[in-house]
Amino acid sequence: MAYRAEDDYDYLFKVVLIGDSGVGKSNLLSRFTRNEFSLESKSTIGVEFATRSIRVDDKVVKAQIWDTAGQERYRAITSAYYRGAVGALVVYDVTRHVTFENVERWLKELRDHTDANIVIMLVGNKADLRHLRAVSVEDAKGFAERESTFFMETSALESMNVESAFTEVLTQIYRVVSKKALDIGDDPAAPPRGQTINVGGKDDVSAVKKSGCCSS
Amino acid sequence: MDKKKAIDESEPGPAPSHAVDRFGFIKPEQSNRPDGIPKGRSIHEREREERRIRKWRKMIGIGGSDWKHYVRRNPYVVKRRIRKGIPDCLRGLVWQLISGSRDLLLMNPGVYETLVIYETSASELEIIRDISRTFPTHVFFQQRHGLGQRSLYNILKAYSVYDRDVGYVQGMGFLAGLLLLYMSEEDAFWLLVALLKGAVHAPMEGLYQGIKVVFQVGLALLSFCHDDLVKLPFEKLLHSLRNFPEEATDPDVLLPLAFSFKVSSHLEEFQNEYHKQHEGTSEISSSKRLQPLISKKDEQIRN
Repeated sequence: MAYRAEDDYDYLFKVVLIGDSGVGKSNLLSRFTRNEFSLESKSTIGVEFATRSIRVDDKVVKAQIWDTAGQERYRAITSAYYRGAVGALVVYDVTRHVTFENVERWLKELRDHTDANIVIMLVGNKADLRHLRAVSVEDAKGFAERESTFFMETSALESMNVESAFTEVLTQIYRVVSKKALDIGDDPAAPPRGQTINVGGKDDVSAVKKSGCCSS
Repeated sequence: MDKKKAIDESEPGPAPSHAVDRFGFIKPEQSNRPDGIPKGRSIHEREREERRIRKWRKMIGIGGSDWKHYVRRNPYVVKRRIRKGIPDCLRGLVWQLISGSRDLLLMNPGVYETLVIYETSASELEIIRDISRTFPTHVFFQQRHGLGQRSLYNILKAYSVYDRDVGYVQGMGFLAGLLLLYMSEEDAFWLLVALLKGAVHAPMEGLYQGIKVVFQVGLALLSFCHDDLVKLPFEKLLHSLRNFPEEATDPDVLLPLAFSFKVSSHLEEFQNEYHKQHEGTSEISSSKRLQPLISKKDEQIRN
């Protein structure tokens, strides 16, 4: 392969992190982009973002991941935040059931502000806190299926599944985009059904998840 | 928000295992700065600071007794001196005088205590979740359930009860935390009230800068770093906008530049334009005065 400059890329995808305050959005971001985790991180005020490139097939996919404050009050800045997003991680905290209940509102907001083709993954973070679990894998998986989103449990602290979650979202976006470029219709294997195009099917992701964690 | 309580270098550090900077923030380990020796202030600078302190003490009188009188008689002297910088050791008191929060405190005896002890707030859990995430690397707030964290919680809870329409908004903690480094809990609470809701009668009425100065300082920072910023790709911008170089944040350079920007008429135009765009959709009174009131901004945004 030809030499490539460090920040050269084939695709640039904007991905947003959403979910209630304190579920671990910023630590997921820092774990994925810098392999860092902090128990004493500052609460996010306003908007932050970080980038990381990964390889999908023979292409370099650069993710520009946006992170914002989770508090309801900050919803006022949303339209700018969501603009151009092609992927989203909707994060809840497996130890706080209310953050899972609120996922529905986050999904609604996401769908109100983004393209119908956006790739969404439901992420149950803090899966390392096994003794404090308040949301079962089954419930979350069922919910994700009904909402046609991908699903994974992660632990930013233990660095579990963080890589997989982001990589999966980026790969799926890549599939959507490259398929679009090839003119949809060529591929009978991916018929769009309903409003959300379910690229590749959710099973792939569940498989990754199963092998990765959550024997509890 | 980068002025933290100055820790006297001659005092023994509060946490011997950590080195703290002069504001009380724990230094990142082994910051291999090429100029390893901390920059000491020159004799000239120290003398200037001492002169300033003497002038300020005279101006405010004992415990602030002469302040109102002085402001009424020499408002522009006060304004000039504020722009040159309030001496760090007097900031706690002077902020309370300028904002009118001292009057709020005197007019509401016992109110803060009641708010802290007897009232409950719908935001308590939200506040608790943010306490350890507010200045986590500052010596005063670092200790779990320590004095700093408890005071911070008390103030934020009290505020969310006192101003139920606004309640608790993430970010308030950084403001309240800064105030706590300069004054008692109760004083800090009333100053927070004065900053977010406005005092009953601001004693600095004629000199009130409002949000204007925020734009001026912002513009000064941007123009100071203009040549470097315009060269950066989009993704590097955020980092640079959060980490301005030290020479750009020297108040003696930055503030004169800031005040050279004339922004009042521009801001008024923008505000009028904004109100025109939001007419009909908003129920708020279209106050002409530019005020940094969070509650008002919030209403506008929500509608």
